[in-house]
Amino acid sequence: MSEEAQTATIFDRPFGLRMIGLTQMTFGFLALVAFIGLVLAIVGGVPGVADLGPVYAVVLLIGVVIPCLVIGNYVDDLRRNAVVAQILYSLFSIAMAAIFLMYWGIGYEWAFPLYEISVQVAIGNLAVFIVVVEAFFALYLIVKWNEVAPPSDVYVERDRVIAKQIVTGIVPSPLTPSLISPDGETTLSDDDSRRIMDVRRVTTDEGMAVLCSNCGGATPLTKVEDDNTLVCDYCGVRLGVSSVFVPCENHPEYLAATNCDVCGEHFCRMCLTAQEPPVDKRWKGSIVHICQKCFEGRYRPAVTTTSLVLPIDQLFDKAGSRFSRVGGIYRKFLGKYSAVMRYVLEFTLRLAASVMKAGGKGNSNDGAAMVLIAVVVAVVAIPLAIGVVLLLGAIVIIPFLFYAGLVGVTIEAVKIISRTDFLSLSEAREKGIAVGAPAKTKESTLREDQRDWEYRGSRYAGERHVTETYFRRQN
Amino acid sequence: MQVQHIMCPVCGGRIPIEHNDKVNRCEYCASPVLGSDQNRNCSRHPDRLAVEVCHVCNEMFCEEDIEYRVADYGGKLFTIVNCDKEYCVDESQWAKPLNREYQQLVNMDWADNIDNLILRVTGLGAVLMMIFELVFVLSMIYLQYFTTHSANLPMFFLPGDIVIVLSILGNLLSAILLQTALQVYIHERQLGSGIVLLIILVAEAAFLIGRGLYFNLLINPIPWLLPLLFGAFTFSVILVFIGSMMATAVGYKKHKQFRSARITLGLTAER
Repeated sequence: MSEEAQTATIFDRPFGLRMIGLTQMTFGFLALVAFIGLVLAIVGGVPGVADLGPVYAVVLLIGVVIPCLVIGNYVDDLRRNAVVAQILYSLFSIAMAAIFLMYWGIGYEWAFPLYEISVQVAIGNLAVFIVVVEAFFALYLIVKWNEVAPPSDVYVERDRVIAKQIVTGIVPSPLTPSLISPDGETTLSDDDSRRIMDVRRVTTDEGMAVLCSNCGGATPLTKVEDDNTLVCDYCGVRLGVSSVFVPCENHPEYLAATNCDVCGEHFCRMCLTAQEPPVDKRWKGSIVHICQKCFEGRYRPAVTTTSLVLPIDQLFDKAGSRFSRVGGIYRKFLGKYSAVMRYVLEFTLRLAASVMKAGGKGNSNDGAAMVLIAVVVAVVAIPLAIGVVLLLGAIVIIPFLFYAGLVGVTIEAVKIISRTDFLSLSEAREKGIAVGAPAKTKESTLREDQRDWEYRGSRYAGERHVTETYFRRQN
Repeated sequence: MQVQHIMCPVCGGRIPIEHNDKVNRCEYCASPVLGSDQNRNCSRHPDRLAVEVCHVCNEMFCEEDIEYRVADYGGKLFTIVNCDKEYCVDESQWAKPLNREYQQLVNMDWADNIDNLILRVTGLGAVLMMIFELVFVLSMIYLQYFTTHSANLPMFFLPGDIVIVLSILGNLLSAILLQTALQVYIHERQLGSGIVLLIILVAEAAFLIGRGLYFNLLINPIPWLLPLLFGAFTFSVILVFIGSMMATAVGYKKHKQFRSARITLGLTAER
């Protein structure tokens, strides 16, 4: 056994193993349908199943449904025990089907009642099919044993997101050297392991490595070329080199990527998050970089601080905007409606006039009056009814919105307490790669005060600056 | 001259290499990277490794030649760095020099562990209180509109009007409690928010007990509802109470540290 734990991922499973898992699951699902049908037939008192029906149902459940679903679910996850179980189950199935064929023969058929008809099932043929398929499964698993049943010292990463990151080589950790071997299983030589560890853990002359902004891999500074660029050891992109060779405050083994814009200290990509910049022409970048402490706003009344009243006024703002949106919809509706009504009215008046011209006898005038009443109803009653419906809709929506807002506030609070609302640059990049799209960022409901600069001149106008002590006293 | 581009080590954006002997800024995040022929040492002291880049002239300097300034954006402070050249100082006048001494004197890293604990205790209590309120609303609406026991619940004009109004009030109170509970993590607000938290907690507890009695929950027909609500409420109150007491104690210590720093640096008339 090698000293280093070896690692494989879920993507290393052979295609055949995947097919075995899916087939077993299909068997289990079909057997489950049959089991449910049988139980319904027993409960419904269908003649012909009352005697042995319960026995068949139990046998089907214990002998087919549960093992097929359970084993089928686990066998294609590169689980040694599941593969052993599948082989045993295949042998058991073959034995049972063979005994069945010996006693009843290949031509045996069942006829079971389905409502008013009787369905013939060629059970003998089904038994032969089971023997063939399960024999193939057992044979395949035994022949491909080394590929389908990883040894106990091999760790299998089954989380698809992490596995994908490992396969594409975008995760600088875990640091097990064998993880980085080409096939995830090969035991690397000590020299190779040391070389990889050197890259990951960084023991260079300058004592620092650069974290790649593309893949997150760490490449030692010793590899910086004469033109002050660096080719990433992992993904091969050519990176510029940060201007100052200062280590990250939290990770001295990494070169700081840039400064935190709030406290000015140097941090690597794992310790910085990005936020929208202030609306101010003096700010040159389209991003503000912030370290975790400044993100939390602990030391300075810096970028992020929470407010006593924020979620409440925000909720009412949302509710108010919902009301005004409903008003807007209603106004738009009235505009369109009146435009259409002009033609309806014109048409109806012409119709009424033609009805009146039709003759002075009988109830032709009554008909014109009815048309006019219908027009009045159409012009007044319909918009009124729609207005009432929209208003009621708004009244119902707003409490729901309020409740949903409070649930959202609670979730944001949990993120803040567990300190998971800080999304670092490298995490954002990895998430973006894992999902194939840039990481979605959502402003926290409780940290939205960070965009205070949008309220400049209103909230702080005329106030004594609360942060004066952070400025050097001028004489 | 043909402008080449290179990948930014910070954001992965494009950096046009316009200067070979000066830092080049990323088009997206404005992070500086070295020019292709640029020396990594201080412009003024070639034997020293540079530690900062002047935001005006983009040259690199060691600690001795730079000045940190803070700029105010609507009450928030960002830090910039400039060198001591006259032009660069003039161009940076809009930002004020950073008070390093004050920063050092008010360093509160000593409280990191206890603050983490305080945040989690008060935060957990406040979150539980919020969840309690959210569940309470649903329970009362259920009792009011989906059971035959709505007669126990009070009303003004329509069935459920008082229930909804008082439930919304309770939710607002718990949202305020939650907001205050999160602010115990901010050094300068810790003492204040600890005290405010205690006051809000008393108000919230009184309101909840009063509302429960007003809603006749003591004779409500669902046997498990009252113990469940009361248990959750009691547990939350205990957590918030403990957290607020700790916040007040630690916050007072910090308050003294702030005061002492201001007195030491002559930033206040106090003695």
